[in-house]
Amino acid sequence: MANPRLAFAIAVAKSAGFASKLIGNKGETLPGRILLALEPEAISLLARNKKIILISGTNGKTSTTKAVATIVRQLGTVTTSGSGSNLSWGAAGALMSRAEYAVLEIDELHLPSIIAQSDPEIVLLLNLTRDQLHRMHEVKRVSDRWHVECAEASNTIFIGDIDDPYINYALANATNSVRVSFGGRAHPDGAVCPRCGSYLKWVGANYSCSCGLTNKISDRKFKKGSAASRNAALANVVGEVLDAKPVKFKESELQRNITKEFAGKKAHFRLTKNPASWTEALSAEHKSDVILVLNSRQVDGIDTSWLWDVSFKPLKGKKVIVCGERGIDMAYRLHVEGIESTLVNNFDEAIALVKKKEVSVLAAYTAFFELVM
Amino acid sequence: MLEIIRIHNELMGTYGDRGNADVLKFRASIGGIRSQVTDISYTQVIPRTADIYLLGGAEDAAQVLSYAALAKSKALGTAVSKGAVVLAVCAGFQIIGNSFVANDEKYSGLGLIDVHTSAGKKRLVGDIAIESEFFDANLTGFENHSGITALGKSVMPLGKVVVGNGNGVADVDGAVSGNIFGTYLHGPVLARNPEFADLLLERAVGEPIKVIHDELADQYAKWRRAAIK
Repeated sequence: MANPRLAFAIAVAKSAGFASKLIGNKGETLPGRILLALEPEAISLLARNKKIILISGTNGKTSTTKAVATIVRQLGTVTTSGSGSNLSWGAAGALMSRAEYAVLEIDELHLPSIIAQSDPEIVLLLNLTRDQLHRMHEVKRVSDRWHVECAEASNTIFIGDIDDPYINYALANATNSVRVSFGGRAHPDGAVCPRCGSYLKWVGANYSCSCGLTNKISDRKFKKGSAASRNAALANVVGEVLDAKPVKFKESELQRNITKEFAGKKAHFRLTKNPASWTEALSAEHKSDVILVLNSRQVDGIDTSWLWDVSFKPLKGKKVIVCGERGIDMAYRLHVEGIESTLVNNFDEAIALVKKKEVSVLAAYTAFFELVM
Repeated sequence: MLEIIRIHNELMGTYGDRGNADVLKFRASIGGIRSQVTDISYTQVIPRTADIYLLGGAEDAAQVLSYAALAKSKALGTAVSKGAVVLAVCAGFQIIGNSFVANDEKYSGLGLIDVHTSAGKKRLVGDIAIESEFFDANLTGFENHSGITALGKSVMPLGKVVVGNGNGVADVDGAVSGNIFGTYLHGPVLARNPEFADLLLERAVGEPIKVIHDELADQYAKWRRAAIK
């Protein structure tokens, strides 16, 4: 390594990470934080010797990043993000590896800066919907930033799902792009054209605006499917651009689903975090007993107003038990939709109320990690 | 039959404010008042004869579209002159005033209530509690905006800010004039403050209504008040 300051920073960061793990921490963000503190240019310096692939979007980042890493491993050694550590220090930490490829999940707001610093080969853009509005403020604000950065990064190939008008707008001025369509789908925040501000004309699941923004013209077309199947297809488009062989994934490999035993019961956990992911999760099959866990820490979104933009009707007729720090918000929202639930203080009390052998658990981000990771 | 109109929810529904209509209908049914909620989208004609009109929060481009359609239709003005109740939240609150700013441009507003909104320098985000003379207990909610709303002489605020920012000036939130209510409180505001929903129902019915009992609603409101003070 030609740069002694960078070499020193990496040595310190790695030993700090090692020490942190010794005392029982997961140590995923600490090395990256130290590295960036000692060498603020670390991301761009470390990215020079690697092929960089970045993945971003509101939902599906972590699982799609795993799928892309699996595909790219056919071509060479891969370093990838620690689960959910998708801010700049997460990227910096992963880049310390000597692997040939870096496949990194990046937070939506951090993406433009990481693109600028790392000059990636490929950026995969999955979707943009409402999420953590206390931090993102507006969906349009995020897509504006992407739009500007996609136009700047002329060496990068941008792959995106243009059935989402915000992704289509983000890609609009990119030098190199692969615009993918799955035959269209409704978008919960898609009433206005993100490019020109007109009322966006939707016919069924397809949109076209007088300014030219449409999902009807694409480079690659796939058939309609669940979020998991779409993300698997998008991961394979990344592989295609890199000349990797396609990999078949099971639906469950691209969902944040984990089954774990609790108090002698089989609990099928699914991560849910915003209107789009709740709606997707509620459309899947669930057991007759369902536990909902709602928190409102930073990554969950500190406000719960968005619950009212989700229809919980698929839970009608099921035995619904609610817990979590904001369980009462959920219970009242369900109450007004005509679904009576049992509100309890914590997950242990919730699982104790389950009479069946199996239960579906839909859990907010922080609850999911605390209970199953 | 109480007619509740949810205006342009696909545009003005960024923040769960659609729930205000659901809560009104739900509480009306507990109170034995028949009601129905009708969604009127941007491309539809807004009825002039409904009892309650609801506007929610929006991003700038959506706010401008909704404003243009409402200004053209004049339905809201007609309904207000006949005594209809209006609850307008955040971007909706800005629209019904005398001026607002979106995408760095100034618009004249619908002029239903004498407030002027200018663009603030920082985003006001977080829990909010206000003390309102309409209610015994504080109202709570969540705000997320950058507008600064100044009240004209003919209007009173909805309440005095206890926690948070509200209008961003004069330590108050919202505005009230006759049956028109504006506020920056999301939550949705009527879900977290059932007594506010009941006040709107009473205004729409035009006479005192039966006390509406819903234990979970009261428990929720109380818990939010305890959390934000």
